[in-house]
Amino acid sequence: MGEGRGARGRRDAGMSKATAGTEAPVLEVRDLQKHFGGLYALSGLDLHVNEGEIVSVIGPNGAGKSTLFNVVTGIYEPDEGGIRYRGQSLVGLRPHQIVRLGLARTFQSVRLFPNMTVLENAMVGQHCRSKTGVFGAIVRTPGVRQEEERIRERASAALSFFGKRLSGYREEQPAFALSYANRRRLEMARAMATDPQLILLDEPTAGMNPRETLELRDNIVRMRDELGLTVIVIEHDMRVVKGVSDRVIACDYGRKIAEGTYEEVANDEQVIEAYLGRGHGAKDD
Amino acid sequence: MDARRWIRAGALGGVVTIFLALVGLIGNFTGLRLVGEQITFARLMLVSAPLVAGLIVAAPRIEGGTRRAATLSEAIRGGAVAGAAAGAVFALGILFTDWIGDERVRRIFLNVSPQLMEFVTFEQAAGVGAAIILALSAAAGLLGGVLRVAPATIRRPVTAALSVTLLFGFLQRVIPIAFDQIGLERDWLYSASLGGLTWIGALVIAAASAGVSIVNSRYGSRLRGRFAGRPDTGPGVRPTTLVLGAAVLGLLIAAPQLLGSVISEVLGSVMVFALLGIGLNIVVGYAGLLDLGYVFFFALGAYAVALLTGATLNAFGIAPEPAISLGLNFYVAIPFVMLLAAVAGVLVGAPVLRLRGDYLALVTLGLGEMVTVLVGSPWLVPLVGGPSGMRGITDAGIGGLGFRQPQQFYYLALAFVVLAMFVSWRLAASRIGRAWTAMREDEQTADAMGINIVRFKLLAFAMGGAVGSLGGALFAVKIGSLTPASFQVLVSIQVLGLVILGGMGSLPGVIVGALVLVGLPGLLREFEEYRLLAYGAAVVAVMVLRPEGLVPNVRRSRELHEEEAEQDAWVKAEEPAAEGTPA
Repeated sequence: MGEGRGARGRRDAGMSKATAGTEAPVLEVRDLQKHFGGLYALSGLDLHVNEGEIVSVIGPNGAGKSTLFNVVTGIYEPDEGGIRYRGQSLVGLRPHQIVRLGLARTFQSVRLFPNMTVLENAMVGQHCRSKTGVFGAIVRTPGVRQEEERIRERASAALSFFGKRLSGYREEQPAFALSYANRRRLEMARAMATDPQLILLDEPTAGMNPRETLELRDNIVRMRDELGLTVIVIEHDMRVVKGVSDRVIACDYGRKIAEGTYEEVANDEQVIEAYLGRGHGAKDD
Repeated sequence: MDARRWIRAGALGGVVTIFLALVGLIGNFTGLRLVGEQITFARLMLVSAPLVAGLIVAAPRIEGGTRRAATLSEAIRGGAVAGAAAGAVFALGILFTDWIGDERVRRIFLNVSPQLMEFVTFEQAAGVGAAIILALSAAAGLLGGVLRVAPATIRRPVTAALSVTLLFGFLQRVIPIAFDQIGLERDWLYSASLGGLTWIGALVIAAASAGVSIVNSRYGSRLRGRFAGRPDTGPGVRPTTLVLGAAVLGLLIAAPQLLGSVISEVLGSVMVFALLGIGLNIVVGYAGLLDLGYVFFFALGAYAVALLTGATLNAFGIAPEPAISLGLNFYVAIPFVMLLAAVAGVLVGAPVLRLRGDYLALVTLGLGEMVTVLVGSPWLVPLVGGPSGMRGITDAGIGGLGFRQPQQFYYLALAFVVLAMFVSWRLAASRIGRAWTAMREDEQTADAMGINIVRFKLLAFAMGGAVGSLGGALFAVKIGSLTPASFQVLVSIQVLGLVILGGMGSLPGVIVGALVLVGLPGLLREFEEYRLLAYGAAVVAVMVLRPEGLVPNVRRSRELHEEEAEQDAWVKAEEPAAEGTPA
């Protein structure tokens, strides 16, 4: 399939255990290109993600990681290349259509609805799984009441993924009143409330303190183990990358430069070069 | 330093007084008595700016990062200085006018009448008059300053007493009629010969409102806590809410009988504008789309009802029948009108989907203007009568009982307003309202969370249009004839004004906004020509003092105070970082 096409041949020998499966990948990205004027944010990126995998995408600033997320979730349209989710092409779909298919995301800079309550934020996530129309909303039929109740329960359940941090009295607080870490958690809960199968986390630990970071590392693993989600995470904190990843993909200049287990990628010369520049020795984490 | 600030505030007050004099708000109202023979509107205007200047200079200030209330002596000195400064500026104006001759000033400022000059100089020589003005203004400023620093237990009742009494004074044409309707004795309250309140009446009202204010500040929070309903979504309705609602409804139903035909007529206009406000509130308040062309739906509703129910053209020389005249019953026509308006909303919304904020406002402004031009154009004369319009519009009668008379119209309008409020409330409290709120707060994120932006924007335009067209339909029934003159851009501005004044996204706010911006001018006929001035002043005042509106929607209010909220959030975000220790 698509693995390792853009990478150097010698890395093909070191495939991780998770990519060895025979199933079709959940997400497959081929030769993805996106430029902004003369800037090539993505120039021929290939990657795939298998069912139940946690894949980390790393790379220096400007490597095209966030652009990758934006293109996959439909915020940008790719200039060239294909994106397939369970065999269906995502190119040309609007973001809200992609969410419906089961891809949810968080943003690098937290983007909540600050004046809605915590619970309401999560309830927005359930929007694409409900269908009450104008007539139903006005008449409030029993079916609509049930749906509203279900939305509320589902949103509450998504919030309780983080234990008591977003539950109880916090549900009624406006989102802007949350601490920074809790806002990041709420963003993840909102994404989980869309009932996704694949979740894309854009630097979930940015700005968190070490304790919160460790807790979040466990949360990412729990997303897969308890909720059965497939996870793609952009992350700079190498402890998190090491702790969660089944597979690591390193990008630079909009291309994949390395792929494999954490150890393989961390010791890859090109990766070290991308992070530290030419002329540095091997880097030990 | 302080002295300079006081003088600056006062001088500004003086400029305001000069402005009031030049537009005629002083000279033309020397005969409008509010309380007894002494307190006239003109005298009130003369001292109001110095009073406000006194209030402002004695207000708490932020100094070196902390909020500090003025001391009593500061308030006394500051108020007096500011008041005197205001008086000095106005006195200079008097002396200047006297020096070059008031008849020369009058050539430009028509309102500088001999009557005005006589009034502001207290029928003395200009110098003496100026001195009296100076002293009066200083006293008013001092009073304002002292009032501002007085403890709340005194300040609140005094403010309440003063403002309610003045309001009763202003409503001297209205309240006596209501008294007569109910059959109450009213000569003790309003003087038959002078027009305004009697001193005894004024004292009774002042005492009553001060009493209410005291009770409110003592027990108010406890009572409110008991009666507080959940603002947006309430799963259960409490019995107290039910009782309160029933009482309000009873009062609303009895109102035309209690208040008589003149006030009912005004209330009818209030309801028409309230309907427009409820509709625009969906577009602007819920979905956050600034629409300056809302008159479009007003006109559409009015003309659609006229055409569907068989009105005739008002034009001479051509066939009296319009090109289409279906002769439907009013209540059969209404669903079609709403449907038509919803479709029109989608059509208007579609081309402006990608526009936001200022650009959206500009384009909708243009679309609204097109309607005015269209209905008045010779091209559409065969359909809607062009400049001379249409007449013979249905009175929406049921079994021979028409709704053209103010008191009857009131009930029809009330029913429509209640219905529109219900629809609007249910929409806001549903999945749809949530989607609108999310879209308003962050469009791109809402999209990325599964909300179809295009669909919900169009839905907002369609629902807003449908509700607004009801306002137009009612207007047509109320007036009985239509001309393009009723569908000017001013309607859009007025409706937006009342939505903003009441508080965007707030249904009670729309009603309060309509009462203040449409009801009050309707009741205060003396001030008809100052209506737009008052509009502008009211909107500016609300925007500066209370940007969230009079009866704010909690969430919208937060959005408008974003800056403070962000700061607050920042402070809170610092806490966990401080307490957190690496594991």
